[in-house]
Amino acid sequence: MLITCPYCGPRDLSEFTYQGDANRARPDPASTEQQAWYDYVYQRVNTVGDHKEYWQHSGGCRSHLVVVRSTLTHVISSVGFAREHDERKSATRHKSGGKA
Amino acid sequence: MSPRRAASGGRIDRARTIRFTFDGRAYTGHAGDTLASALMANGATLFGRSFKYHRPRGVLTAGIDEPNALVTILSGDVREPNIPATTVEIYDGLSAASQNRFPSLGFDIGAVNQLGGKLLSAGFYYKTFMGPVVGPLKGTRFWMFCEHFIRRAAGLGSAGYAADDARYEKMNAFCDILVVGAGPAGLSAAKAAATAGHRLILADLDATLGGSAKWSGETIDGKDAAGWAEAAATELAALPNVRVLPRTTVWGYYDNNTLAALERVADHRLTPGKGEPRHRHWTIRADTVVLASGAFERTLVFPGNDRPGVMLASAAERYANEYGVLPGNNVAIFTNNDSAYCAAAALRQAGASIAAIIDVRPDISTAARDLAAQTGAELLLGHAVIKAEGGKQLTGIKVQRFDNSTGVLSGEPRSIEADCLAISGGWSPVVHLASQAGGKPEWDADRQAFMPPPATQNWIGAGAFTGAANTETAIAEGRKAGEKAAGAKASRARPVKVFAPALDPHPAPYREIRADGKAFVDLQHDVTAEDVRLAHREGFVSVEHLKRYTTLGMATDQGKTSNVPGLAIMADARGLSIPEAGTTRFRPPFAAVSLGALAGERYGDLRPDRLTPMHDWHVEQGARMLPAGLWFRPQIYGDPGETVEQAYVREAKAVRESVGMVDVSTLGKIAVQGPDAAQFLDRVYTNMFSTLAVGKARYGLMLREDGIAYDDGTTWRLGEQEFLMTTTTANAGKVMQQLEYYLDIVWPELKVHLTSVSDEWAGAAIAGPKARDVLAACVAGTKVDNEALPFMGIVHGQIDGVKVMICRLSFSGEMAFEVYCGAGFGTHVWEALMQAGKPFGIVPYGMEALGTLRIEKGHVTGAEIDGRTTARDLYLDWMLSKKKPFAGSAVMDRDGLLSPSRLKLVGVVSLDDQALAGGAHIVTGGSLEQPGEDIGHITAVCYSPALGKYIGLALVKGGKERIGRRAWSCDPVRKRFGPIQIVSHHFYDPEGSRMHG
Amino acid sequence: MVEPLSPLAPAWKPGSHGNFAAGVGVVLSETRPGSIVEAAAWHGEEKKLIAAIRKSTGLSLPDGAGAGTYSGGKGAFGIAPGRFLLIDQAEGLAARLREAVAADTGTVTDLSHGRTAIRVAGPKAEWVLSKLFAIDFALPAFPVGSGVSTVHHDIFAQIQRTGEDAFDLYVFRSFARSFWKMLGHSTEEVGYEVR
Repeated sequence: MLITCPYCGPRDLSEFTYQGDANRARPDPASTEQQAWYDYVYQRVNTVGDHKEYWQHSGGCRSHLVVVRSTLTHVISSVGFAREHDERKSATRHKSGGKA
Repeated sequence: MSPRRAASGGRIDRARTIRFTFDGRAYTGHAGDTLASALMANGATLFGRSFKYHRPRGVLTAGIDEPNALVTILSGDVREPNIPATTVEIYDGLSAASQNRFPSLGFDIGAVNQLGGKLLSAGFYYKTFMGPVVGPLKGTRFWMFCEHFIRRAAGLGSAGYAADDARYEKMNAFCDILVVGAGPAGLSAAKAAATAGHRLILADLDATLGGSAKWSGETIDGKDAAGWAEAAATELAALPNVRVLPRTTVWGYYDNNTLAALERVADHRLTPGKGEPRHRHWTIRADTVVLASGAFERTLVFPGNDRPGVMLASAAERYANEYGVLPGNNVAIFTNNDSAYCAAAALRQAGASIAAIIDVRPDISTAARDLAAQTGAELLLGHAVIKAEGGKQLTGIKVQRFDNSTGVLSGEPRSIEADCLAISGGWSPVVHLASQAGGKPEWDADRQAFMPPPATQNWIGAGAFTGAANTETAIAEGRKAGEKAAGAKASRARPVKVFAPALDPHPAPYREIRADGKAFVDLQHDVTAEDVRLAHREGFVSVEHLKRYTTLGMATDQGKTSNVPGLAIMADARGLSIPEAGTTRFRPPFAAVSLGALAGERYGDLRPDRLTPMHDWHVEQGARMLPAGLWFRPQIYGDPGETVEQAYVREAKAVRESVGMVDVSTLGKIAVQGPDAAQFLDRVYTNMFSTLAVGKARYGLMLREDGIAYDDGTTWRLGEQEFLMTTTTANAGKVMQQLEYYLDIVWPELKVHLTSVSDEWAGAAIAGPKARDVLAACVAGTKVDNEALPFMGIVHGQIDGVKVMICRLSFSGEMAFEVYCGAGFGTHVWEALMQAGKPFGIVPYGMEALGTLRIEKGHVTGAEIDGRTTARDLYLDWMLSKKKPFAGSAVMDRDGLLSPSRLKLVGVVSLDDQALAGGAHIVTGGSLEQPGEDIGHITAVCYSPALGKYIGLALVKGGKERIGRRAWSCDPVRKRFGPIQIVSHHFYDPEGSRMHG
Repeated sequence: MVEPLSPLAPAWKPGSHGNFAAGVGVVLSETRPGSIVEAAAWHGEEKKLIAAIRKSTGLSLPDGAGAGTYSGGKGAFGIAPGRFLLIDQAEGLAARLREAVAADTGTVTDLSHGRTAIRVAGPKAEWVLSKLFAIDFALPAFPVGSGVSTVHHDIFAQIQRTGEDAFDLYVFRSFARSFWKMLGHSTEEVGYEVR
């Protein structure tokens, strides 16, 4: 399996480290709400099909990536820097904050 | 002696004689021979004994699909078993041996198994050895009793015990186009694609390129086919953008058009060249793959179809045309399709007489009829062979009238004398790689074959692989595939003309000839047609179950010749069509791959050694080096005659009494820089770092996100925005990754940069009451007294002209300092410190003494921070800040983690003056055989010179509550049971007066 | 003046080795630069960092991932987003860069001791490196001056192409000797000279 790192280009799986489910949301650090932390630490959805996950290019540029990979075929439909992804996410959050 | 070398012909070099041995006997052959062709030229018919029944077996094929003629190649004491003799190029000095026979190939005791054929049917072992134990010799226990004898009697060759000193290597390749197979289609694809200048790799499993062109006897482009192939190969090899890989089997097709190939670099020579690997494993990433992997001929299933002398027609043709070997003098042909007629003509032309051509079809093409006429043989249409007769060599066949549409035999059987029977059951495209690439092969009833699936990855098929009816089509397809792969327009050059008979590519529907006697489907695993029917009767009807129940299609040939025959019989038994019965999905590897090649250069030393800057000094001083992860660290610096315990006790004592020094360069070191560095550390450590003054260090503890203790170490504030974090040696990489995770994903808004500087700094910890005196004697540019360098203070200075950074911190509990300098100066500074310490009796100390000193102080390491313990379990509650959240803080006090029954840190003292053992259980009483309640375990042990006792750290239920109680160390593995006292883990100087003093 | 000790020292065997009868395929050497420095820009400040690097070292970093430049013992190339490895045969580059790079532009980390620089040069350099790294070393895919960050099993490496048939490899010092031995082993086939 190859992952196309946005910086380094396509590289072999062995250069990457799986860093977990990218769907989970870390609660606010100050929060002591046990259920939210429990979900973050332990709960995972066993997705069939496209799954959003973190991979670190640990044997390359060391960036964390958000990879959308099909759990059925290993086909990777998108790869982006986690940093940008999460900035985008927070930007969207800010914009749509009023509506939610 | 039936097979023999023809007087002329073939592509072997008759001027070059090669000498080799088989089963200890000397033979000769010619350059260009395989072991199979050379032995046949010497008259051999018998090549091995079959897997289960020990039936005599000859050569069935002329290539990688060979199920029978497996041999062991000997090289000194190294044995490589199960190599098809049909793929071994002979060389001077080659030594090979037959397999699965005792005492010899000609006389084999195991052949008695043939008499008990009914007993050894499919599932025999499952039925006999599985299930409940009802008697002393039933079920699994019976298997344990019999296993040795069965394993010896059944099976293939045996591997040796000698270490293989051959070199294996890996190679990575990138190309625009990979062409798999260099037959007419592959060569033509490569030629078309290479002209556009693309990076191209052409791989073929044979030593010389050409595939069927080497032996088809056809005329291509006005040249004889072999000459055409040779010219094409020469032309390609001369192109700078083409890499030709002969002797290379492409065996795996993985995701993203990544393919795996095995190049047998030096198997055709007695010894590899200097530095040359025996095998080279290629990982090839290709933009486009051209699959021109050809087709395998199939067997026909009839009684005795495994007799030596029964051979695939294409193989017989190849032996005659390529190797100049006649597989028989009087050859009969048995076929269900036209292709065998070419073999008949070729064998006749090479000098054999053709006894008869038996064809299951009632009628055949004109071209085939013409070929038959050329041979002068009797043509028996609508007939089948019902028996092949003979022992170690075929003597004749029995034929009978046969209706292929119903399978009914009729009329009187008739005998025909023959010493070779060339058979053809049609052709199966080699779809293995296409199937591996993802995609289900599709049944073509006209061709009676599984054709390649639609491409699910970027590959293009060509030639016999796609079912090309003849060489001319194969070459045209190859050219088209090459042009397409190169992204080029279709060439207007005239198509290549091939002069060949216009044969009908469609075989008769595949059908077993059912008559008396064992008819084999899978020759390598001795699976008969009856075994397939038995599997059906017993309910193992799915193809995957059939394979596992009967072992059909397993082992080295992976059913290359038997896949379709097996399916056809199962389909017939179930009353289904072949595609309804299903097909096996092919998995890698396509052919056997040496384990050495998969291990590559890691064979031998497996992992790299990680060395500290002072490594050579330690070794020169006689240190015993101990692996710690990838690192090597001094265990002890033993004096001659000292035991390990004596050495570490001496070293630890020196630290307590005067001064010692230990190499701490292996600690993980991370530069944490940026305006938000302090805030970041506050979030990841349980304690505060933003309040730390520049020029000071602090001990820090990290938790995992689930609240369990993770790692500890000191972090030094070198500047307002610059910290140097240290981690434990073992967790250095993991901690770095976790911190990077936080910065990339959790807190991308923090301006913090992390850089691993573990290798930038050499570190020496100097400890003991005289440590400060040693520094005072050699450090320039700074004072090191209590005022300039208080506990946890940092100063910068020089030692013997080298810049150093010194932090006063203690792991040993003594007055101690860590001295850091650029790694390249590590040995220089270390030696200067040793020199300065000489008057104070300084000793270097190793991991054992380091461990002893820390156990005496009750400091925790990875043995206690074991992924299960919390900060509170380790009595590190004082490090858990209440002023801020930190990683793990929200969940670290869950009820379960506060339970009074948790294992918590204590010290233990041996009460019988016997050494304790790490990992021993702690029990409340009883005996070794009948231990009492298990309350925990010992994590670390030593002899404490300070206390004069054997002590240890332990995790026990209730922890400190048990202090003062007696318990027992119970170690059933090492057979020790002894009394211990549970004490505080702070054995030595609990007030810390020595390190602060 | 104290000379830093090379981690390769006991494994350093000058001369020709392996199958060199028909000439050596590669020359292996340790370039021992005085300075190896990592410079990292804050997100969005990459241009400012590149400008500071140019001002302080005279090296112009081209645009693009892994892009770089090398001449006369001085080099720079991208190793990660916003991160660059800078090499100078002279010492003191880290200090000079710290002066030039403002705190709100990025950070500078001295790795002069922490990385060992090994040069693989010669007609078989691509062939030998292909044994160790799953990287396309062909010139069009890996132009002169550019670099990659990659790994050979446990050994992390940053590689810059410093000539048509020359590559400079930066490996962690603690792994350098093991890597050097493996490099020699892999190179025996084509013959090599240690120089």
